[in-house]
Amino acid sequence: MISARNLVKDYGTGRVLNGVSLSVEKGEVAVVIGPSGCGKSTLLRCLNGLEMFQEGEVQVDELRLEGGIPDADSAVLLALRRRLGMVFQQFNLFPHMSTLDNVTAGPRFALGRPRADAEKEARALLARVGLADFTAARPEQLSGGQQQRVAIARALAMHPAAILFDEPTSALDPRMANEVLRVMADLARSGQTMVVVTHAMGFARRVAQTVHVMFAGQVIECGPPAQVFDRAGDERVRAFLAEAEGA
Amino acid sequence: MRRRWPWAVGLLVGVLLTCLVVLWYRQAPPKASTDVFRWGADEKGGAPYVYLGDNDELTGFEVDLANELARRLGMRSEFVSKSWENLPEDLRRGDIDVILNGYEWSPARERRMASTIPYYNATVRLMVPAEPPKGKEAIDSWDALRQRNKDGSKKRVAVQRGALTETYMRREFSNDVDILAFKEGTDNAMRLVRNGVADATVQDDLTAGYYAEHGFQDLRFPDADREVPGRGYYVNFVRPQDTALRDRINDALRKMTEDGTLKAIYEKQGIWSKRQEGLAKLAEHWPPEDVEPERTLLDETELLIKSAGVTVVLAVLSFPVALLCGLFIGLGRLYGPRFLALPLTAYVEVIRGTPILLQFYVIYYLLPYAGITLSGFAAGLFGLALNYSAYEAENARAGLLAVPKGQMEAALALGMSRWTALRHVIIPQALRIVVPPVTNDFISLFKDTSICSVVAVTELTGGYEQLRIAEPDHILRLAALTTILYLLMSYPLSLVARRLEKRAVKVTV
Repeated sequence: MISARNLVKDYGTGRVLNGVSLSVEKGEVAVVIGPSGCGKSTLLRCLNGLEMFQEGEVQVDELRLEGGIPDADSAVLLALRRRLGMVFQQFNLFPHMSTLDNVTAGPRFALGRPRADAEKEARALLARVGLADFTAARPEQLSGGQQQRVAIARALAMHPAAILFDEPTSALDPRMANEVLRVMADLARSGQTMVVVTHAMGFARRVAQTVHVMFAGQVIECGPPAQVFDRAGDERVRAFLAEAEGA
Repeated sequence: MRRRWPWAVGLLVGVLLTCLVVLWYRQAPPKASTDVFRWGADEKGGAPYVYLGDNDELTGFEVDLANELARRLGMRSEFVSKSWENLPEDLRRGDIDVILNGYEWSPARERRMASTIPYYNATVRLMVPAEPPKGKEAIDSWDALRQRNKDGSKKRVAVQRGALTETYMRREFSNDVDILAFKEGTDNAMRLVRNGVADATVQDDLTAGYYAEHGFQDLRFPDADREVPGRGYYVNFVRPQDTALRDRINDALRKMTEDGTLKAIYEKQGIWSKRQEGLAKLAEHWPPEDVEPERTLLDETELLIKSAGVTVVLAVLSFPVALLCGLFIGLGRLYGPRFLALPLTAYVEVIRGTPILLQFYVIYYLLPYAGITLSGFAAGLFGLALNYSAYEAENARAGLLAVPKGQMEAALALGMSRWTALRHVIIPQALRIVVPPVTNDFISLFKDTSICSVVAVTELTGGYEQLRIAEPDHILRLAALTTILYLLMSYPLSLVARRLEKRAVKVTV
């Protein structure tokens, strides 16, 4: 359903993505791990066009994104982003809106759906992430874990074919991270396609169908968690995992 | 309560210090010099009074008159360049000893200063375009001024603020004519007639006669022979306590009238007229027993409150326009296509980098040459909006930049177009961030409305000036009233601003 082929991205200072490829099937939970600076977040942001890349292509169903600078408001880009939800490390909730308005922002402003409809659904989504009583709250009144769950509800409101998670728990303490990971695991069980960039190895082991290990702008190991975590062929992967899980 | 003390103490100390300084520097009432004839005039007031002629030499019949007076008084003549409207204050302060600059005698001025006998008896002239502008009827007489234009508007007549011509027009035509009083209302006023901003100008016969031959041959005088009732006595003023100086000047003037020196000076400038033959007779009973009711505090308050209303209207109408334009300029610079960024940046820099006064002159005096003629009020609104749009553009830019980058990304990731994201996510946050500087600018624009007096819109400062010139002895209470009115308007604004700031801070995390 989602595939990235030979993505190359250069910043002025160096190559962040060095011909990386990745594909995710419908209903699959793909987890991308790797040391800091390996390009995993950049890869994720290329998938929905928040970052441009120079070479290669991204395909989401029939939508194709090619290298080069795309027109900021091109139809392909808008369609692609409506199909892929995104959850950010820093939540990025809209601080001037209530929780409910945050969740309805996508349907209302991007899709032009009537407010009443959008709100009805948003309440259900907030209930699903355990925040039924917080519809009127402002983001600043919520804990980090609660904010991230609102962000997940906000992404879900667009009925995305897949959701991209960009280190969703890195800004949270362990307890709040667990709240969020539980919600994500629920989503995975319900068959939601997800691409998750994370350092939470336990989550990767338990929930992922496929684990991709990135190193220096390339995927160097890819397979089911059991295989990657316990029988990795690449020495660098073993070293990274030993360090990550040992901590 | 405790936290209120520091500023109260600071205020008290400040007031005490100011009082001390004032007391320290308070001088004895000024006294006229006995060997220097220090006469004040404004060389920008225009010909033929006192002006810079060829080679920037001080020229004009009043220069000759002053020099002759000084000679006869056995004094050295010293010209002191001053702003025409402020001459009474300069006299009071002691910067000059004599006002000699086309100052008309009036009971109100006599209450404040001592007048000499008149040295010139002026009358007023109506000046209109020789060829009526397209779509307008020719003005053939003074009475024609009372007729409305085809679009129903009153005829617009430009005059010099505070001079004989304004007094005359307000007395005789105030209900029928739109009187535009300018601080620089001689040749500038004629230029406004030429480019169609004003339908006519009224000048005294000296000014009209001079400029009809120098640069304004395209204007003519309808009804020139008509003797216009009016005082029109130009006199010198000295401080009330300097009666000795006044008497000596009077003696000199009488002798100059008798021996024909005065006539010779005027003939040299081509301004002698039959009216001047009556000067000697006028001087027999001086000052005249002209009673003009003194303006009461109530009259003055009423006019000032009306002017304050104009100030409010100007500010309230122009600022939203400036804000909206500024927002779009800021958006264009940050998010617009690249070819827009350069002209928008240039716009902001040019507007911020040039004085607001200059912008008003361009809008009011030069735009008519491009076929755009704005009334004073429209020019005022446009000028204020134009000027503040540049500042608001900078505010908007700062506000937009202050919204974290993740906000735009989150909105885009939801599938919003950039404009939708700006409208629903970025702009609302940016506006909250810029509330403090924007309200600050609004208060500042509020005070800058006073610049509109250069386009003859009588807002609060203009109303104050008008009254101050007419009633120089009321200056203190006029100044106090004006200050109170400005504070009454701007203080509530400050309070609103403070509340908005508190709310804004709460919203931005």
